[in-house]
Amino acid sequence: MQKQIDKIFKAIADPTRREILHALVVASVALPITEISAQFDISRQGVTKHIKILEDADLVQIKKNGREQMIYPNPKSLKTVSDWLKFYENFWDDTLKGLVSYLDNKA
Amino acid sequence: MNDVITKEQIINHPVDKVWNAISKAEEISTWFIKADFEAKAGMPYTFTASEEQGCMTITGEVKEASPYTLVYTWIVENTNVETTVKWVLEAEGEGTKLFLEHSGIANFPGESAIKMFESFSGGWEQCVNQLKDYLAK
Repeated sequence: MQKQIDKIFKAIADPTRREILHALVVASVALPITEISAQFDISRQGVTKHIKILEDADLVQIKKNGREQMIYPNPKSLKTVSDWLKFYENFWDDTLKGLVSYLDNKA
Repeated sequence: MNDVITKEQIINHPVDKVWNAISKAEEISTWFIKADFEAKAGMPYTFTASEEQGCMTITGEVKEASPYTLVYTWIVENTNVETTVKWVLEAEGEGTKLFLEHSGIANFPGESAIKMFESFSGGWEQCVNQLKDYLAK
């Protein structure tokens, strides 16, 4: 668990990895590396590199299906991140609402 | 997904009025959180909410405070993790365009911090409700 959230944030700091992850989550099924590679127009090697980093952050899992490597999204790990962000999203939304009410009520 | 939270809002009040609300201790204490705060670069500050509310203390240092940009670090009690809160106001007609940015949230390490956050979150809800009650009066 050492600095898991750091790994997660580092993994999703890269726009391509974010898109790959997004594609997996939206599809909500496992995709073969070849399909990801085709979809993003980057080399298989490039995709593999990105996937390894996502795997290291526990955001995806790699499973072999015959000769094909299948990439599974791992929503549980994503939830850690989204909970985190959701908290402050809500916090600041509420804070700004509070600010506006305060200003509206102030003479 | 990103470790920066940004908010943008048009407020139908003049920019100076909004600026005072976010930068003067007295006003911050009224609508937001009890503040020992001076909007001057280099000044340490403390935001405190009462124990009964289950709220935490937030400390930090003012990094920039000149109309209409206010930047301060944001360190939650019992963590050593520094995040940054930035407010930028722009006059727009007779109103104000407000930008808010909270960055560095990825600096929080590990699971213990998540747990801390969860309890913190509960506390905040109570605080926010308290504020709503106050404003409804």
